[in-house]
Amino acid sequence: MSQKQAGGPPGESAADWCLYQLNGAAEFEVSEADIISTVEFNHTGELLATGDKGGRVVIFQREPESKNEPYNQGEYNVYSTFQSHEPEFDYLKSLEIEEKINKIKWLPQQNAAHSLLSTNDKTIKLWKITERDKRPEGYNLKDEEGKLKDLSTVTSLQVPVLKPMDLMVEVTPRRIFANGHTYHVNSISVNSDCETYMSADDLRINLWHLAITDRSFNIVDIKPANMEDLTEVITASEFHPHHCNLFVYSSSKGSLRLCDMRASALCDKHSKLYEEPEDPSNRSFFSEIISSVSDVKFSHSGRYMLTRDYLTVKVWDLNMETKPVETYQVHDYLRSKLCSLYENDCIFDKFECAWNGSDSVIMTGAYNNFFRMFDRNTKRDVTLEASRESSKPRAILKPRRVCVGGKRRKDDISVDSLDFTKKILHTAWHPTENIIAIAATNNLYIFQDKVNSEMH
Amino acid sequence: MEFKLEAHRIVSISLGKIYSARGQRGGLKLHKNLLVSLVLRSARQVYLSEPGCPPEPPPAAAGHPEEEPPPPPRTAAWATEEPPPPPPQDEAERDCQAPRPRRCCCGENRGGCAGASPPPHCPRKRSAGERGQAGSPVKKPRREEEEPPPLPPPPPPSPPGEQEDMETSNVASLISIFGSSFSGLLSKEPKGRRRPPLDGGEAAAGTAPAEAAAEPGQICCDEPVLRTLNPWSTAIVAF
Repeated sequence: MSQKQAGGPPGESAADWCLYQLNGAAEFEVSEADIISTVEFNHTGELLATGDKGGRVVIFQREPESKNEPYNQGEYNVYSTFQSHEPEFDYLKSLEIEEKINKIKWLPQQNAAHSLLSTNDKTIKLWKITERDKRPEGYNLKDEEGKLKDLSTVTSLQVPVLKPMDLMVEVTPRRIFANGHTYHVNSISVNSDCETYMSADDLRINLWHLAITDRSFNIVDIKPANMEDLTEVITASEFHPHHCNLFVYSSSKGSLRLCDMRASALCDKHSKLYEEPEDPSNRSFFSEIISSVSDVKFSHSGRYMLTRDYLTVKVWDLNMETKPVETYQVHDYLRSKLCSLYENDCIFDKFECAWNGSDSVIMTGAYNNFFRMFDRNTKRDVTLEASRESSKPRAILKPRRVCVGGKRRKDDISVDSLDFTKKILHTAWHPTENIIAIAATNNLYIFQDKVNSEMH
Repeated sequence: MEFKLEAHRIVSISLGKIYSARGQRGGLKLHKNLLVSLVLRSARQVYLSEPGCPPEPPPAAAGHPEEEPPPPPRTAAWATEEPPPPPPQDEAERDCQAPRPRRCCCGENRGGCAGASPPPHCPRKRSAGERGQAGSPVKKPRREEEEPPPLPPPPPPSPPGEQEDMETSNVASLISIFGSSFSGLLSKEPKGRRRPPLDGGEAAAGTAPAEAAAEPGQICCDEPVLRTLNPWSTAIVAF
């Protein structure tokens, strides 16, 4: 099924990607806290936020292009770094709450300030990011340090003026949405109404108002009366990009449920259930694990949903519940290795997926620092690698290939040589341009389409 | 046979994962442990349904005298339980690893121990709900009637390495900890199998007290259940 391209540059998977930037320490210096756990562009693509296992958020800002330095155009520089979450201890249950940032979502910008939501397993926080580049000077009653002046020294009145100062980026926590979740929060999503957002844990989804922290509405609850009857959990959720009443959530059984908040207050009963029957020839002990959906994303158009399970990415049409309209194999060569991947826990890795701005190309990560792109129109796909060795700045990335026995070409990698500790779980695509952010352990790679950079 | 080996391997890996999940920072991951339990269940079903696996021994008569010396205090609750005849009963809730020196023969080579000597005392493991009734000899025959014997009479012992049993009783104890998705294992349990304990488990075993349940909101596993399990399963159970 070919889709009409919504005005993007043609043949994007044939685009030439080259390394634009690399942030992060060399691999032998990795500490666990530096491992990037989420990556998210804001709605304009001007800002890029990353969260890590240590609870920190780093925001990068794209430099405005200048004609004077053609090669520094559009570089993402560190804009602000702050500690979003700290480790906490739940005394009642004797459990430590990890500070790892699970998700970051930007709010649409409504004034000069930027706002984002960040969440760990239990608590969501709203952060406001403001710039200060001027300060008032010349107060009548206060001196430069802010101390009150001796009134007898004040002989005339002056009007305070704003003087420029070095840019200061201030980040303040504006709201803390705590105690809403018993289980681990896996996703947050801001509603298109810009007033509410939802947070989902394993069994429940809550709807919050951005200005109200002391209460939230529970809109989905799949906890069974008897926990022994539990068979599936919620794995991801997202609001529809345009319809503020619609949201989708995915389950560990591989199904998607589209819910309409107008139908009832508690959306346990879905409006649509998207499920593909399992292929019996592929049945194994691990069928259930590999069918668990790790990420779900609406297309920018709102017409499609993209899901990622362990071995595939699938495109679903909102109008068709019986099966996906497109299925792409990410690394099918792993199908015969599921037992080993179960043993080393890799089978539980949660890969994310992303659409490009025009919904014509989808991207997801894999092992060995590989990431894959699938062009929905040309049906071509490419495997690229995010590594220091293979990425020289401005040099075009060479497509990689994994060989599964049989003919082996020169630069192919065999399945057994794949490094399963190098996994690309988190990727993000700029909302309008061909710029992608790839998190490889503690390193953030930013790749740009060569054509894209030459256009500027 | 290959499937059986793989299934058994998967069961032991799964149980190991459940055990190690207890030490995880951030608390038990419900999603991951649910998936592990589903794999465990599938593997167990395959293991038990495969032809050629050690079968169901004839049900022990009620009142069959216990030949073993009185069990240590840990199994005192089930001291009056009759031992199953060799090969050991494959009942789901049976804890097959009694804490006795005799057990070590099962630890190495199942084939060598089956039929060679009376089996180790196998106190019946009970689910959380039936703990209060532990120790009653009347329970045993009734339970056997309830659970349909799915397997034919025992063939001669299989070659060593293949005749390994599934420690489903340990799983059952894990169930009472987790309280999630194990009801199928408990209620429809065909006869389980015995399996030598993992080495690591024995080293780690101890008087690990019942701790707060791994999953938020779950009730703790009670002391009596822990007492009646062998060291290895105690280690696993001690979440």
